[in-house]
Amino acid sequence: MDQTTVKKEIIVGMADLKVSKAPDIITTSLGSCIGVCLYSPTQKVGGILHLMMAYAGPAAQREGFKKAKFADTGIPELIHQLQAINSSGPKDYVAKIFGGGKILHGIVRNIGADNESAVRSILKDLGIRIVAARTGGGKGYRISLNLDTGKVSCRIFGAESEEF
Amino acid sequence: MTDRLKVDKALKLIAKLSIDKSSQVLSKMIKSGARIDLENVCVVDITEATEKVIGQSDQEVVGAFIDLVGDAPFKFLFYVNVADSLVLTDLILKREIGMTKIFDVYAQSAVQEMGNILSSAISNVFSSDFQISMAPTPPTVINDYASTVFTEYIMSVAVDKNEILIIESVFNIVATNIGCRMFILPVGESEKILSYVASTM
Amino acid sequence: MAKRIIVTDDAPIIRLMLRDILTYNGYEVIKECNNGQEAVEAFTELKPDLMTLDIVMPEKDGIQALEEILTDDDSAKIVMVTAVDQREALMKAIRIGATDYIVKPFENDRVLSAVRKALCED
Repeated sequence: MDQTTVKKEIIVGMADLKVSKAPDIITTSLGSCIGVCLYSPTQKVGGILHLMMAYAGPAAQREGFKKAKFADTGIPELIHQLQAINSSGPKDYVAKIFGGGKILHGIVRNIGADNESAVRSILKDLGIRIVAARTGGGKGYRISLNLDTGKVSCRIFGAESEEF
Repeated sequence: MTDRLKVDKALKLIAKLSIDKSSQVLSKMIKSGARIDLENVCVVDITEATEKVIGQSDQEVVGAFIDLVGDAPFKFLFYVNVADSLVLTDLILKREIGMTKIFDVYAQSAVQEMGNILSSAISNVFSSDFQISMAPTPPTVINDYASTVFTEYIMSVAVDKNEILIIESVFNIVATNIGCRMFILPVGESEKILSYVASTM
Repeated sequence: MAKRIIVTDDAPIIRLMLRDILTYNGYEVIKECNNGQEAVEAFTELKPDLMTLDIVMPEKDGIQALEEILTDDDSAKIVMVTAVDQREALMKAIRIGATDYIVKPFENDRVLSAVRKALCED
């Protein structure tokens, strides 16, 4: 590791994704949204996608469409951006997924569960293995992906921090 | 003046009137001077807005969500950090500050009722000042990270849009250091109503 | 003998405030209800001298509960509680037969005045 490299914390907002290299840390906060973390252990590059909904459908045709809002467009875009900073490296990405809670109890549809189901299906189709997952519940998640180790620290509101 | 500028002007007027009314109601409720300052009335990208809140540490808050339904539907959010909700409870119950020591059902309902009363005051502004019929729904209270509360708040609007019109206010209560935030977010047909209001100004 | 009152509001803090005001002034709060459905059931079962009834509540709102209670007992004394001067809802409540109303945030004197008037204690 370059001695002069300064670790920085990168924040990911809703409907966005960020990628970077070690020793950076990428952080986001989730409710019903799902956070998809992809990481290459050999190249120490990775990223987090903070997606809101499962499938883009006709929304993909609209002006100003945000790929990261949806699982089916966001996950390929996350991989695409990782390729850009990892062009010659092996594509040994593994996935860790978080969030997908049901925060507002009055809502009938469980958006979080729908999102998780879509993410699992899309990652499977892309041949990317999910090595860790912490999803569901009724409280928010705060996750940080350490690009030096590939570990994700996850703190669900009201609980102790866990490492995945 | 473009339509966008007209809507912004209408929104600022509604924000100012809402805040004036809310300040009066808040002061009456807690029997203490309270100032509500308008922090932002703007169109903001959903990613940018949530990134800012997520980046501000993992503050734990209690939030009251209320839907204002009627001719110009809005979503309302009032939130305060958990420690300050205890002080708010003492103020509302006219007790010595410090008596409420744990976040219990009364502290939670203090936030619930603050949200209820403030959102009702705002819906009253719509009906009395603009003849726009509105009414609040029962509050939903959430105790969670500020970022989770905020992202869930804008979720239903952010699904269809990448930018949201939002009014953000900050409260300061005299003699305490309580900081609260209040947000008003127009939904769906509201923008037509705002254009109508703007056209009458 | 102390007059028996049921307090209905979905906010525990409001129920606590009303309970404190009423019991300090010699009334007996015999039950607290969380929503309109509980209020209707409690009124039928306990036949209080008076009920305070919030308007905006989950499950069944105060206007609907008021209608049902008065259909069953047209002499029921009900004081509505509202978070804002919602003229339409309040006028509807008065037309249906509510005795009086209190606007939140309320003063102790206003609560007592409405209760005493409803109970013909003025």
